[in-house]
Amino acid sequence: MITHDIIIIGGGLAGLRAALEAHNRGTDVAVISKVHPIRSHSVAAQGGVNASLVHDDSWEAHALDTVRGSDYLADQDAVEVLCREAPERVLEMEHWGTLFSRTRDGHIAQRPFGGAGFPRTCYAGDRTGHNLLHTLHEQVLRARIKIYREWLVTRLVVDGGRCTGFIAMHTPDSKLEAFRAKATVLATGGYGRIYQRSTNAIINRGYGISLAYHAGVPLQDMEFVQFHPTTLLGTNILITEGARGEGGYLYNNRHERFMEKYATGMMELAPRDIVARSIQTEVDEGRGFDGGYVQLDITHLGEKKIEERLGGIRQISIDFAGIDPVKEPIPVQPGQHYSMGGVSCDANGATPLEGLYAAGECACISVHGANRLGGNSLLETIVFGKRAGEHAAGYVQETDVQGENAHLDSLASEEQNISDLMGGDGESFAVVRDELRSVMQQDVGVFRNQAGLQKAVETIRELREKGRNVRVKSGATSFNFELLNAIELKGMLELGQVIAKGALAREESRGAHYRTDFLERDDEHWLRHTLAYQTPEGPRLEYKEVTITQFQPKQREY
Amino acid sequence: MVRLKVRRQDGDRVWHETFDVKDTPEMSVLEALFYVQERLDGGLCFRYSCRGAVCGSCAMLINKVPRLACRTQVSSVKNEMNVDAVKWGALARPVVKVAKDEILIEPLPNFNVIRDLVVDMEHFYDLLDYIKPWISAGDEVPKGGNLMSPEVEQQIEVYTNCILCATCHGACPAAGRDEMYLGPAALAKAWRFYLDPREQEKDKHARLEAVDNQSGLWGCDVVFKCVAVCPKKVTPTQGILAQRRQIPKNRIKKVFKRGKNSED
Repeated sequence: MITHDIIIIGGGLAGLRAALEAHNRGTDVAVISKVHPIRSHSVAAQGGVNASLVHDDSWEAHALDTVRGSDYLADQDAVEVLCREAPERVLEMEHWGTLFSRTRDGHIAQRPFGGAGFPRTCYAGDRTGHNLLHTLHEQVLRARIKIYREWLVTRLVVDGGRCTGFIAMHTPDSKLEAFRAKATVLATGGYGRIYQRSTNAIINRGYGISLAYHAGVPLQDMEFVQFHPTTLLGTNILITEGARGEGGYLYNNRHERFMEKYATGMMELAPRDIVARSIQTEVDEGRGFDGGYVQLDITHLGEKKIEERLGGIRQISIDFAGIDPVKEPIPVQPGQHYSMGGVSCDANGATPLEGLYAAGECACISVHGANRLGGNSLLETIVFGKRAGEHAAGYVQETDVQGENAHLDSLASEEQNISDLMGGDGESFAVVRDELRSVMQQDVGVFRNQAGLQKAVETIRELREKGRNVRVKSGATSFNFELLNAIELKGMLELGQVIAKGALAREESRGAHYRTDFLERDDEHWLRHTLAYQTPEGPRLEYKEVTITQFQPKQREY
Repeated sequence: MVRLKVRRQDGDRVWHETFDVKDTPEMSVLEALFYVQERLDGGLCFRYSCRGAVCGSCAMLINKVPRLACRTQVSSVKNEMNVDAVKWGALARPVVKVAKDEILIEPLPNFNVIRDLVVDMEHFYDLLDYIKPWISAGDEVPKGGNLMSPEVEQQIEVYTNCILCATCHGACPAAGRDEMYLGPAALAKAWRFYLDPREQEKDKHARLEAVDNQSGLWGCDVVFKCVAVCPKKVTPTQGILAQRRQIPKNRIKKVFKRGKNSED
């Protein structure tokens, strides 16, 4: 058994920032991750991180943009924390070595981003996530924080109403081990891979979110799934909003800048939910190109600017689509990108389960409400990662280490679960997974309606049955990826069910949740958060009030 | 149809196995490997994460060249008959002839194999750790942040683009010879911190001193293989040469500092 004061599950930005904070506050903290930290999906973030750094901008303006962008579902007290603390967190990252792009006079460069009334997105070319993650990893190395690499956490241990650690499998030898911690921080990112088209890394299967759900923690607002408007045709690799921030245009097959019809004021820089729906509408109504896409044109920016500020997406377009954006438009289509929902927690990262914290994309505080603005997710990781680390560090000072019995019981039952998965004839994980991804894409996507959602709920119920018969044929004991996939598939199926059920229940259109049978936002009935609890019969939905401080809900216009 | 010829390993047992994969026009080598793992042999193992050439997980030897499997298109390598052995060097593994419509896939050289295409990266991370790859920032963040000119930023950016995929290490003849050699990635990273105005002068000099030896800057053969294989256009050799040019200055400063200290 391995023991630390605090263990952070996940080595992306939120996890590493939490670890650093807990370490700086004198606690014994460790990070555990299924990959080496720099392979985490944070590394793929491109466009930037929002902070009101200059005099003619303000945190209040940032907060208003965020709340409007969220279609008023964000909790405004949490948004205030996000926007107030943004400058300090960003400057700290700069001080630790993040190589931000610079203005002529040497300050951090900022670019316009969707849904923002001010160019407040700090960027490092179009490799902002890469630069931030490598910086934090460097500082974690400097602090000599223990990192358990290539371990998959398979279940949380709950003892006497407290989370007291977890069971994890060491990928190189498939052995299970119990970890004991006074506080556990989930920083495991999103679940994009339950959709067929997603910008997310292949490892983003949402397993961390399902760990909390299993342990009785409610998942909040899971029906709010962000579809990024511009993902590369084919692989659905992200093409940053920064491409439009720098002046890129969207064209349909008649060479019309169609955003004029949908968001006359902000055009291509309207919030993501609106641009994604606009593109999908163009494609659905026959004004897209064969294969279901539109064109993102940045050729007029010129090679120098493209190379300087969008060099990464130029390379991606060349490598993965054989297209040089200096010379021709990029073929783009909407794809799943981000989860606004997640493990329910407060602005200190504390979940309803004592001893369990959450931060980053896996968490729902909620600062993004029904639709996240670009540049706010990187910000969320460093602001709330820090806060979760800080509060977990405070919590462990006044907490005793729990006994080992619950761990030993959990370990034994996990050993049984894994051995039940092995060998014999059964379903292949890949078949069940592909069916899940297909139904999520078809029926729980950009546009939703009752018939489709009902079908999705029913299909996923059947897939869960089928999922019980998944068996692992490979008996390899080292790096058995078939086994890892089979374990994580169960979580994917559960999250799919929560998302579909929440979407079916919510009879309104708000932010990224768009119902073609309920076109209007309905504040009277639905200005509230969804909470999904696990029961043997499937998710039980409850609702809670949204916190409104200074911005009263209004119609969104862009 | 494309045939993958994969070098497999489990403990001491090494063998080559071929898999027929139904390829599509845009298929990457990584996707072809998934095809095998999900339909033909669930036991085949290889690391992966982002599939977009930013995470650095899937470096391997494809037709004898160290590359990222995710950004290598099947169509571009399946008939790659004439791999230039002189250009890529005598890599440590036996040569296997590549036939038409066949792709040879092996683990990254200069690493111990754990199983199949998964290599032990710990040594690589340890080498990196040796150069203390971090800015030794003080506790106080300057008000408004540090200033840096765009020119300096762009100079450093060439090196911060490194994703630590280790293709360079797999291509490096010096790393193949000498296990203690720090290798292109760590030495390029050292230059990244040397260039950074935020790094303390004393830490820059200490780092330069730490790499001023045969296992560091002077172990490089200057054959630019790391530069040739880097998927992110990082230029380790240029960084190594630039640091060599700093050495005389550094040694003089060191002597001067010693002299000063002895007076104290």
